Amino acid sequence: MSQLSTKQKLLNIIDDIELIAKELIENAIAPKANKISGQEYAQLTELLVAKDTELKDTLKLAYEQGQINKKIEVVKAEVEKQDQEISKLQKQLKEAEQILSTAIYQANQKLQSIALAKKRPVSSEELIKFAHRISASNAVCAPLTWQQGDPRRPYPTDIEMRLGTLGRLSDPVNGHILQQQSSMSDLHRSGPAGEVPASNQNQFAWHPSGEIHISVGQGTVAMDTRNHKQETEDVEVMSTDSSSSSSSDSQ
Amino acid sequence: MDSDNQSQEAKLSVGLEEFNFDIVPVIYEIFCSIEKDHHDNSAKTRESQDCSQKVLELQKRLDQARAEVNLLPGIQFSKEEQLNHLEALKTQLRLKQDLLQRHRFVSPFHKP
Repeated sequence: MSQLSTKQKLLNIIDDIELIAKELIENAIAPKANKISGQEYAQLTELLVAKDTELKDTLKLAYEQGQINKKIEVVKAEVEKQDQEISKLQKQLKEAEQILSTAIYQANQKLQSIALAKKRPVSSEELIKFAHRISASNAVCAPLTWQQGDPRRPYPTDIEMRLGTLGRLSDPVNGHILQQQSSMSDLHRSGPAGEVPASNQNQFAWHPSGEIHISVGQGTVAMDTRNHKQETEDVEVMSTDSSSSSSSDSQ
Repeated sequence: MDSDNQSQEAKLSVGLEEFNFDIVPVIYEIFCSIEKDHHDNSAKTRESQDCSQKVLELQKRLDQARAEVNLLPGIQFSKEEQLNHLEALKTQLRLKQDLLQRHRFVSPFHKP
């Protein structure tokens, strides 16, 4: 059973006092024929005094409850503060959980790749050997002595291609080609850019059209100069044009 | 006993000094003016006017008391209910403090 609140008690007492006061005043102004007996009048008066006393006592109770209410407010503020701390801690724990789950996932992946690698082990010496072979053609990094203007490229140039097996297929005289091939490899290994060994100068000749021609066997073949662009036919021509070279060349 | 009553009343007056709940004196004044028997007609008229004003004042005092009761803090519940509410809040505060204490300073190598 819910108890009556103090507020409701006070309001009820005030209503009762109003009723009693109305009754007394009406009886005082009423004509003698309608007046109540003296005993009833005295009872009403006593009731009014009792209600007034009850009002004062209930007001004291209300004051005490006001003091208790202040304590309740203080405790409520403390509880609110604890709630905020708990939600802050919860957020931090959630973040930590996310970070840890990501780390565990990545660690699992690492373990899987380790297990996979263990199944097919490769010796480090073999790896280093292959690394040397790959970087021997200077395709990974330019040679240390490479400067701007050096004709060497990370890819086989057109001269080298023409001196290779495919280029020599159409040439019947193999001896001349072999000689020039060895001299071309000397030219390839020369240091400074643009310097042509003296013994090979007769191989390069300027054509009236402005192109450099190299004597191959009994004929001459036009060379791709730096500023000349050839049209690609069936086979893509390796160009020595610096504008088409890779970005690593300029470093 | 008297000193206790006086101290309680002093506390009450300090806490509720801005509120006025003295209704009985107003009723008493009304009765005084009703019971006055004047022989003079003008005095009677004046007295009846005073009397009606006092009745209006009584009504005003009662309404004021009701409004002041509505303003008093902490009386929405009975005293027992309020004390129970306070105990519940204190228990809640203690539990939450314990929870924070347990989970904030946990060592990763400590098994509870």
